[in-house]
Amino acid sequence: MKQTGKKTVLVILAAILALLFLIPLAWMISTSFKNDFEAIAGGLNWIPEDFTFENYTYTLLGEGVDVPIFKWMFNSLFAGIAGTTIIVAIDAMAAYGLARLDVPLKKYLFPLFISTLMIPFVITFLPMYMQFSNLGLLNTYAVLIFPYTANAFGVFLLYQFFRSFPKELEEAAHLDGANKWQIFIRVVVPSARPILWTLAIFSFMQIYNDFLWPLVATNTPEMRTITTGIAIMQQGSFVSSYGKLMALTTIATVPILIVFLIGQKQLIKGITQTGIK
Amino acid sequence: MDKVIQPISKAKRDRRSKLTSFLFVLPYLIMFLAFLFFPLIYGIYISLNDYNLLAQDHPFIGLDNYARIFNPDSAMFTLFFDGLWNTIKFVVFSVPLLVIIGLALALLLNSLPGKIRGLFRTIYFIPYAISVSVISILFLWILDTNSGLLNNFLMNLGFDPVPWLTRQPFAWISLVGATVWWTLGFNMIIFINALNEVPEDMYEASAIDGATAWQKFIHITLPSIRPIMLFVVITSTIASFNVYGQPYLMTRGGPGDSTEVLLMGIVDLAFEQRELGIASAMALLMSLIMIAVSIVQFKISNRNQEGGKTR
Repeated sequence: MKQTGKKTVLVILAAILALLFLIPLAWMISTSFKNDFEAIAGGLNWIPEDFTFENYTYTLLGEGVDVPIFKWMFNSLFAGIAGTTIIVAIDAMAAYGLARLDVPLKKYLFPLFISTLMIPFVITFLPMYMQFSNLGLLNTYAVLIFPYTANAFGVFLLYQFFRSFPKELEEAAHLDGANKWQIFIRVVVPSARPILWTLAIFSFMQIYNDFLWPLVATNTPEMRTITTGIAIMQQGSFVSSYGKLMALTTIATVPILIVFLIGQKQLIKGITQTGIK
Repeated sequence: MDKVIQPISKAKRDRRSKLTSFLFVLPYLIMFLAFLFFPLIYGIYISLNDYNLLAQDHPFIGLDNYARIFNPDSAMFTLFFDGLWNTIKFVVFSVPLLVIIGLALALLLNSLPGKIRGLFRTIYFIPYAISVSVISILFLWILDTNSGLLNNFLMNLGFDPVPWLTRQPFAWISLVGATVWWTLGFNMIIFINALNEVPEDMYEASAIDGATAWQKFIHITLPSIRPIMLFVVITSTIASFNVYGQPYLMTRGGPGDSTEVLLMGIVDLAFEQRELGIASAMALLMSLIMIAVSIVQFKISNRNQEGGKTR
């Protein structure tokens, strides 16, 4: 009896906290359907009195000429998918090589890679900007993709997995006459699929949500990502048009929220596997 | 004949094998060298130059940039140390909340009935998926003095509107609050896993001894999750040190310069004033401070742990 009472109190507490997490998001969606006048008037009306789609039509249907939102979304999705693909491919190869193959100098390479996990991003972003600037590659997809591929996180994550991967499978394939590359593609990658998805979701979220790097490495409206584009709008022509801003932030959030909800299990697995040494 | 050829071809095969294996590492190695190792070295080099982006020449000036940062009469001194002080304030305000509330949420979730546990975990974790610019613009709106949701709610209860973003201490409260709301879920997930790793029989043994829930938490849970706690403290500290988007978008460093964090100062120096050399020197110093803080946290935690063992 006492036990059930305690449980009920905890459930109510959890529900109140859940509201604190959901209210801001609900308010964002609610505001996105209000006209600017109703938004700025304040009040607590959750259902807009004058329910309108104009914020969405203005930003999406080309009425707001200075809002190339489809281009921003394309840039973010393209950089996210391309970067993620490269990261998963090269990290899997490197981690497998270091964990299982006779890579020369691997005794030094792995610690060198892992030690850079300690290095904060601030240390590299200015020289990297100069590097791309010297090559004339600012405002290209190169800046939105390649810097993320140097992160050692994926190598670290996959290395641990390949270390504990059963040798028998590789040996069986080896006896069948498969070479290293064939063993990697046909045996190792298929059994590593869950952890590769974990890395993919992590990488995609990182690239899609990154803010400071794309903010400094791009400065033309066409090459902004969605996260930097909306920040520019907030400081520019939408400065107090909260209806339109909330429509923009809602649009920006939908794709990543879908990825998050689908990949949540993999994401949690990745966080816990790197948290425990 | 065979005996002579055999060792040579074996050495050859060995070399070929090593070469093939090296090709597995090569693509990542190239990216690593180009976008991590090279920038690191290049950054040190830039910090030793008078590197104004608009100037033709970038003369080598040795440690002069560093000397200017540490010269109390220089404007760079003020920029660096005021920014650092503001960043440290943010770290000190946010990290304890991120760790303690993260752990509290994990404990709460673990004591819920299994069926609804997953649902609440997802809800608490959702903000982590959203970008810092969306979070900042959303809170800018919710905390708006006249039209914002929070002040309208407070006014309905009969309170005066609070200048959340334009007065201290409210500006710090707002920045820390938005950050906690945003990233709490990440720490919570780590703690949930750590709590599940604590051996069940330790709790059972203490239950036989008649320990209360609080005693169990202090004597069993906390010591067991200590390494994870350290991990969360360090990752939260690093994340808070890197704070940029929230003050950049929500308070613009204000009121006054009170929330102008170091990273904002560095970005401004590099891209508004085009002083890349001294900005790089500041970025390097900031990184060294972050690494030093992590090492100190690690050392303190280890020493406490050893002390606990000998007792």
